[in-house]
Amino acid sequence: MALLRPSSRTRRRDANGTRIWTWLMLPGTLWMTGFLIASLVLVAVLAVGTTDELGNPRFGFDLAGIRALADPAYTEVLARSLGYALLTCVICLLIAYPVAYTIALYGGRYKHALIAAIVVPFFANYLVRMYGWSVVLSDDGPVLSALRAIGLADAGTRILNSGFGVVAGLVYGFVVFMIIPLYAALERLDVSLIEAGRDLYGGPVRTFFFVTLPATRQGAAAGLVLVFLPAMGDFVSAQLMGGPDQIMIGNLIQDKFFQGQNWPLGSALTMLLMLVLLVGMLGYLRRTRKDEAEALR
Amino acid sequence: MSPEVPPPSRRALLRAGACGLIGAAAGGCGFMPAKKPDTKQLAPVEARVDGDLVYFNWADFVDPSVFKGFEKEYGVKVVQSNFDSMEGMAAKLNAGNRYDIIFPTAKWAQRLARGGRLRRIDHSQLSHSQDIFGAYPYFADPWYDPGSAHTVPFTAYKTGIGWRRDRIGELTDSWRDLWSDRASGKVFLLDDRDEVLGMGALALGLDVSTGDTGDLDRITSLLGTLRPRLRGFSSDSYNNLLNGNALIQQAWSGDMAAMLYQAKDPSVFGFEAPEEGTPINTDCYAIPWNAPHPGTAMLFIDYMLRPENVKKNIEYIGYPMPVAGSEKTYADLVEPFPECMVTQDDLKAGLFFRNGGSAAEDARDTAWTHVKAG
Repeated sequence: MALLRPSSRTRRRDANGTRIWTWLMLPGTLWMTGFLIASLVLVAVLAVGTTDELGNPRFGFDLAGIRALADPAYTEVLARSLGYALLTCVICLLIAYPVAYTIALYGGRYKHALIAAIVVPFFANYLVRMYGWSVVLSDDGPVLSALRAIGLADAGTRILNSGFGVVAGLVYGFVVFMIIPLYAALERLDVSLIEAGRDLYGGPVRTFFFVTLPATRQGAAAGLVLVFLPAMGDFVSAQLMGGPDQIMIGNLIQDKFFQGQNWPLGSALTMLLMLVLLVGMLGYLRRTRKDEAEALR
Repeated sequence: MSPEVPPPSRRALLRAGACGLIGAAAGGCGFMPAKKPDTKQLAPVEARVDGDLVYFNWADFVDPSVFKGFEKEYGVKVVQSNFDSMEGMAAKLNAGNRYDIIFPTAKWAQRLARGGRLRRIDHSQLSHSQDIFGAYPYFADPWYDPGSAHTVPFTAYKTGIGWRRDRIGELTDSWRDLWSDRASGKVFLLDDRDEVLGMGALALGLDVSTGDTGDLDRITSLLGTLRPRLRGFSSDSYNNLLNGNALIQQAWSGDMAAMLYQAKDPSVFGFEAPEEGTPINTDCYAIPWNAPHPGTAMLFIDYMLRPENVKKNIEYIGYPMPVAGSEKTYADLVEPFPECMVTQDDLKAGLFFRNGGSAAEDARDTAWTHVKAG
C-alpha cells in the first residue's frame, strides 16, 4: 500500500497533465469542427439535396445531382484541370528549385531578406494580382505593344485567353508554396553531404542527383502537394487568363452555386473534386510514411 | 471529476460534433430555417424617419452626393453594404441579415415577393410616384410584381452588342453579328447564363426564358458554332473593348454608357440593340420584410425619385431610369450610343428573363454547362 501510493499519485499527475493538453486543444478542435468538418458535412448532405422553385437549396434525398456528374462535359473539364494542375506542379518545381537552392546555399546574410522579397508580393490578394496581369498582358497592353514595336509579335499574337496564359497564371499564383518548403529542406541540408559526394568523385551533376535531390525530396513532395491542391481547384486564373477552351472545374463549381442556383450539383462536383485531391493526398502521405520508416531504420 | 474518466479525445469531439450537425441538418428540411413573416411585417408603412438607413446594392450604384444630401436632410446615416450578384444578395437575406432597402432585378423581385420576403409599398406615400407609374404604365402592373405592390422600378436596361468601330467598321443590327468573320477570335459573351441562352434564343426566334429541352438543344448547337470564334465569357465588357481584347462584346447598355467616361474617343466604339429583340431588365427598389427601419427606406425611395436626384444618378451610373422628365438627361448622356435608350415599346415586348419551374431551371443549367464547357 505504502509502495503503491506514490506511483498512483504520479499517474494522477500524468492524467491531469494530459487533460490540460486535451482542453487546450478544444479551441482548435471546435474551429475545425465548426468550419471544416461542418462545412464538409453540409456539402456532402447538399449533394443529395434538392432545389426549390425559388432556387433555394433544400435538404432531402435526391440523386439527380450525383447522376448529372455522368455528363461527359464534367469529366473532360476535370481531366483538363488535372492536366493543368500537374503541369503547374512540374513548372513550379523547375522554377523553385534553383531559386531555393541559390538562396539557401549562397544567400549568406541576405537569406532572410531574399525570402522576404519573394513572399511579400504574395501578401497582396491573388485575385487583385491576377487582374493586374490580365491588364498588363491584354492585346493593347504594355507587354504586347512593346513586343510589337520591336517586331517580336504581330497583330495576331496574344497571351491572354490561352492554355499558356492559364498555366502561367497558376504558376505565378502558387510558385511561392513550392519555394518555401524547398528552401526549408535545403536550409537543413548538411553541406558536408555534398562535400562527401564530391570526395567520392561525384561530379556536380551526379552529386546533385544522387545526394542533394534525394536529401530534399520531402521538401519537394510537400511543395508539390501545396501547389497541386489550390491549382486543381482554382477558378481565377481560368476566368481572367483563359478562354472558352480553358475552363477549369473550379469555374463550373462556381457557376453551379451562383448562376445555376444548382447547389446539389455544385456540391456533387465539389465532392468529386475532393475525391481526386484525396487520391493525391494519400499518395503524399504514403510517401512520407515510407520516408519516416526509412529514417528510423 | 474522477480520474478514471478519461478526457474526451480530439477524435471523439470531432465525431460528436459531426453527428450533432448531421442531426441538426436532417431535422430541418430547409437549408436555412426561414421564419415565416407575419402579416404586420408585410403591411405598408408610413414614410417617416425611424432610424438610420441600412442600404444594400451593387457597389457604386448611387451618386455619393445623393447619399450626403439624404443624410443631411433627414439627420440619419446611410450604412452601406454591397452584393456582387443576385444570388449573393438572396443568400444574405436568407441567412437572416437585415437591410432596409435592396435592389433586386425583376426576376428576383418576383422570387422574393412570391416567397413573402418583401414589405408592400404604398405608392401614395411617394410624392413623385406618378412620374413612374403614370408616365410608364408598364410599371403600374408589371409581370414580376402585380400592381407593383412590393417594388418601385429603379433602372431599366437592355443587352446588346458593343463593338470597335475603328477596327471592324459597321455591323448589321443583328445577333448574327457575333459570328462576324472580321472579329473572329476576338468575340466575348457575357459570363451570364440567362444572357447567353437568351441571345441564342433571340437569334433563333425563340422565347428568351425558354426551358424547353428541344429549344435549348437548338440554342446549344447554334452557340456551338459560335464557340470556335469566341475568346471568352466575360462580363467585364467595357474593359475588354477598351484594352483591345474584344472587337465584339455582348454588353449591357448601362456599362456601355459608363464606358463613355473612360474612353478617350467614344466614336471608335459602337453599341447596337439587335432587331431580333434584346433582353430587357429592371432593377427595383424593395424593402425586405425584416427591415429594421422601413419608414426611412420609404423616405429614401421618395428622395431618390426627386428629379434632381434622378438626374444625378443617371449621370453617375449610366443606367436609364423610367422616370418622366429624365429621358433627355439620358439621351444626352448616351448621345454616341442612341440604342442604349429603353422605350415604352421595349418594355412591352415581353423580353424579360422570367422564373421557370425547377425542371426548366435544371434544363437551362445543363444547357449553360454545355455552352460554356463545350
